[in-house]
Amino acid sequence: MFIGAIGCEPLQLKRVNLEHSRTIDVYKRNGGYDAIKKVLGGMSPDDVINEVKKSALRGRGGAGFPTGMKWSFVPKDSPKPKYVVCNADESEPGTFKDRYLMERDPHMLIEGMLIAAYALGARINYIYTRGEYRYLINIMDAALDEARSAGLLGEKILGTDFSCDIYTHTGAGAYICGEETALLSSLEGLRGHPRMKPPFPAVSGLYACPTVVNNVETLTAVPDIIKMGGEAYQKLGTEKSGGTKVWSVSGHVNRPGVYELPMGYVDMEKFIMEDCQGILNDKKLKAVIPGGSSVYIMPAADITGKGVRMDYEGLVAAGSMVGSGGFIVMDETVDVFESTKNLIEFYKHESCGWCTPCREGTDWLVKVFKRIARGEGRPEDAQLILDLCDNIEGKSFCPLGDAAAWPIQSAIKKFPEDFKRHLAPLTMQTETEVAAD
Amino acid sequence: MSTELIKVTINGKEFQVAKGARLIDVCREQGFNIPSFCYYADLALQASCRMCLVRIEKMPKLQTSCTITCTDGMVVTTESEEIEKAQRAMVEFLLANHPLDCPICDRGGECELQEMAFDWGNLEERFTERKNAQPEKYLSPIVANDPQRCILCKRCTRVCDEWMGEDAIEAGGRGANTVIGTFGGWLNCSECGNCIEVCPTGTLLDATYRHQARPWELQQTVTTCTYCSDGCQESVGSRAGEVMRVVARDRYVNGHNGEFLCIKGRFAHTFINDETRLRTPMIRYKKGGKLIPATWDEAVKFATRGLDKAAEAHGANSIAVVGSPRLTNESLYALKKFATELVGTENYTATDAFSLSPFFQNLGGQIATHRDIRHAKTIVLIGGEPEELQPFAGKQIRQAVRNGGAKLVIINSTPIRLKERATQFLHINPETEDAAVLAIFNQAHNELAARKMGVQETELIELRRTITNTEGDVVIMFGGEVSAEAQSLLAQMPYLFNKEGRRALLHPLPLYNNSVGATDMGLMYGKLGATEMLDAAGDSVHAMYVAGSFLPQHLTGREDSLGKLDFLVVQELFETETTRFADVVFPAASFAEADGTFTNSGGLVQRVRQTIPPVNQSKQDWVITAQLSKELGVDFGFQMSASAVFGEIAERIPAYAGLRYPLLKDETNPVQVKHATIEQRDLSQESEAIRARVEKMSDTATKINATPPVGHELFKIGTLTDKLPQMHLLASGNPKPPTLAVSPLYQITVDAGMKREAIGGD
Repeated sequence: MFIGAIGCEPLQLKRVNLEHSRTIDVYKRNGGYDAIKKVLGGMSPDDVINEVKKSALRGRGGAGFPTGMKWSFVPKDSPKPKYVVCNADESEPGTFKDRYLMERDPHMLIEGMLIAAYALGARINYIYTRGEYRYLINIMDAALDEARSAGLLGEKILGTDFSCDIYTHTGAGAYICGEETALLSSLEGLRGHPRMKPPFPAVSGLYACPTVVNNVETLTAVPDIIKMGGEAYQKLGTEKSGGTKVWSVSGHVNRPGVYELPMGYVDMEKFIMEDCQGILNDKKLKAVIPGGSSVYIMPAADITGKGVRMDYEGLVAAGSMVGSGGFIVMDETVDVFESTKNLIEFYKHESCGWCTPCREGTDWLVKVFKRIARGEGRPEDAQLILDLCDNIEGKSFCPLGDAAAWPIQSAIKKFPEDFKRHLAPLTMQTETEVAAD
Repeated sequence: MSTELIKVTINGKEFQVAKGARLIDVCREQGFNIPSFCYYADLALQASCRMCLVRIEKMPKLQTSCTITCTDGMVVTTESEEIEKAQRAMVEFLLANHPLDCPICDRGGECELQEMAFDWGNLEERFTERKNAQPEKYLSPIVANDPQRCILCKRCTRVCDEWMGEDAIEAGGRGANTVIGTFGGWLNCSECGNCIEVCPTGTLLDATYRHQARPWELQQTVTTCTYCSDGCQESVGSRAGEVMRVVARDRYVNGHNGEFLCIKGRFAHTFINDETRLRTPMIRYKKGGKLIPATWDEAVKFATRGLDKAAEAHGANSIAVVGSPRLTNESLYALKKFATELVGTENYTATDAFSLSPFFQNLGGQIATHRDIRHAKTIVLIGGEPEELQPFAGKQIRQAVRNGGAKLVIINSTPIRLKERATQFLHINPETEDAAVLAIFNQAHNELAARKMGVQETELIELRRTITNTEGDVVIMFGGEVSAEAQSLLAQMPYLFNKEGRRALLHPLPLYNNSVGATDMGLMYGKLGATEMLDAAGDSVHAMYVAGSFLPQHLTGREDSLGKLDFLVVQELFETETTRFADVVFPAASFAEADGTFTNSGGLVQRVRQTIPPVNQSKQDWVITAQLSKELGVDFGFQMSASAVFGEIAERIPAYAGLRYPLLKDETNPVQVKHATIEQRDLSQESEAIRARVEKMSDTATKINATPPVGHELFKIGTLTDKLPQMHLLASGNPKPPTLAVSPLYQITVDAGMKREAIGGD
């Protein structure tokens, strides 16, 4: 497995391959905690937020919301305490970058959170990891203890008036708790159900106080932004997608791993064939899910020779999304019907049950997929599946419903043959026929 | 909500609506039908059923109208192809795993999902897979659960949390496997059954009514509950002269309690058709002999002869007339008339736990209705335990705090459960409630009061500050712990706070459905109280005419007092400790068989309507009284009509002036009687009496530290609740049966060991 940067100097992955990379000594020797010193040495909270705004850093959890803007939504004059919560509930199928960032370089996350806490005036902060990452809690706690002993956490950090502490908390193994409001409910000890928006967490989040929830990779990008300056960081990437992005590459490639690429890396075909050393066993590429299971699937035809640019805009133009950067490569042996069935079973299992369309819709879809897999598919099933997806999409309480519907819709649209095979005799319309209607 | 109006366009029509109004409410008020399951007024928003979707211009997706606050210039579409498709899709989703066997479901015929399926369901089912089956079970002796019918609107869990403050039911599991359940699988709560009431499907069901009748067979009669002083409006469902169930569902009744009822109101109605109801009038021809069934004519003649004899021998005052605070105003009025105008005795009373007469004699302000409690900004609760004794008042207090942001100050010697919601809890020494009243009335007594109550003086100062800083109404509630003098002080407190610019409302917490009515009808202003009257039996009182029975607390230590009487006439539903000595017993009609009115603790006079014909040979209490008086040669002129009695009440009792039954027709707009207020008066005598008593209180009392368990009052077995077998299980600690699949009644024997003795009274 490969962990490293391609096409740029490693930022996020600068220290991950060093020996004892998770200790504070190695971190400090390699430029660690310089950023917080710089911040506390004379930057105002507004300066920090401005640098982050200039960096064009976008949320790395999946939605890609501009981080600086999110931070600036927190009301400055609120008398309530404010919280920074790190979303380490990395549950999106195909995504495992946060795990390596925390496992191998926990202090980078701590420093990022400290800077965020300083910018937002937060005294108490939480790292919420998924239940399955329990072993990471020990690593994080050890790192937090080191930082506390070094005077980087707790009262009067580095002799300034800034006091701040970070606590870890683990979920109980629910995908939905990666949704920020469900995460906050879970953190409060309630059932992990999403909450109504508005009010957004920036106004009323944890314990109804202003809260910023950021992904691990978003927060670990912050120290470098401070060190090199927002503009320099942005220039590593493109105008609207600043900096670098860490991709989790899995599936049928010869060298899966965690890859740091500059935003706007060109192109996806080169990335798969050269950087990831091509498809396993010299098979042909069939499809790629570039941003975790919730984004649209891309057939090889949309990649090969198309020069797909790997950033937020580039992937939207190519018909998919960056999402969380869970880059799943599938070769020609994959039956997209089967892979889609696998995904919808995941979404059914993870639907929290709060709202009707997601709870009942995913359950129904799984039953239909299973029936088809048993060889009892009916010609009208494809239309039924698409209609169910349409009835879920845009009607659910939180985006989990959408995330369940999109991959199915795109799979049927892009790989009708794989579905047709299961639905003979065939009456379903192919994409071109639909277009002709 | 402000009074500022804004413009909203719905389906192309412009409307002026209050700023901050909720879109779903606005649409419904304007006649646009918006379906929903999870939206329930005054409960936390859920937005999970996704039925109320509408299209709002400039918003990317369909929006749930229950979560949208109207803004100026909003353009809304509630009817379009896109919306209808979405709504039909939601019903289709909900029906996917819902059994389509309505004919065997208890909710069939009054099920919201069924109705929604008629309006928004598709003709054909596309879902051909296997449904997720889950077994039916019991959650408690009175709550049955059919989990696979659940659509997870979570009204039940919200009601349990927000209304009852109990959190007894919550969702468990995830996704399509989510079920509503309880901790440990068994429901240990106050068993109010509100979760059953608000359930839009057949998921939570009344286990006492299960498979007994279909809703369309029932005759629904709106009436007033016969248990506590809250006066909840309920709909009694009866079939062929038998009461099958009681509900408060808003499709049948819409009283001030909404869909709220408690365990007694909702389930403890089985006494009405109980086989131990008295069947015929009975006469005891010889002292110490047996009661022998007789005809009405014989019994009436026997009774009047006995009363006549006593009057001739010992004078009119030797005859005592005793009513029950459970009777209707009409029956109580007839008794009072019988006592004062026919017999001419000074000895009349009602068998109430405590008298409110000092309170009403000194009343210096308005009585708070339950609606006033809900909208109060400060609630001061002195003594009492509304969550057990007046459950609806308890619910209103909880909602005032939770949804209305009210401050709640509780002064109680027991850490009652409601204290969890209190802003300030003054845990006082037992029986020092008077000291608290004294201190609130005059802060000069703070030091003394605090010392005797065992609290800090600063706590009393803080309590006063809370009242002074209130922006809105202050409601002062008090229970039976306060003395007569303290009641006078409380009654005059509105003057005190009016001076500070606060509006103070008062709310007494009597124990019975018509305690206030009994006071209004004048029955509480007789010479002797209930216990004094028993003490005088055989001495100055030689004959008694009792409608209802004495309470256990009256009879304790006076068990044989009634035996000393020369003659005792009793009208009752059941044989009780009081009928044990009766020479004549008349079978009386229960509230379900009577027409009349009750006056609740908020002063609302509400109708009691005849639901079923009188059981056996029973007659309404006032009819029996009128019959006796006719036999004695005086025709009360009631023309055998309750409305005629009420007409006379309205003529003679100023607080009821101008009222007639037609004015009380609409339970949605209840009428508050106009209790006369008196001018502010000098209370130095009363406050001095209290001060002297407080001085004598101990400085070193031991506090009661245990919070009483849920149901310690609610599940107490009384004459009426005794007739509900499930109540005995609850009173015995609600044991969890070996299996949840069948009713615990079939698994646990309610035998002598388990069964509690009826203690009479309620």
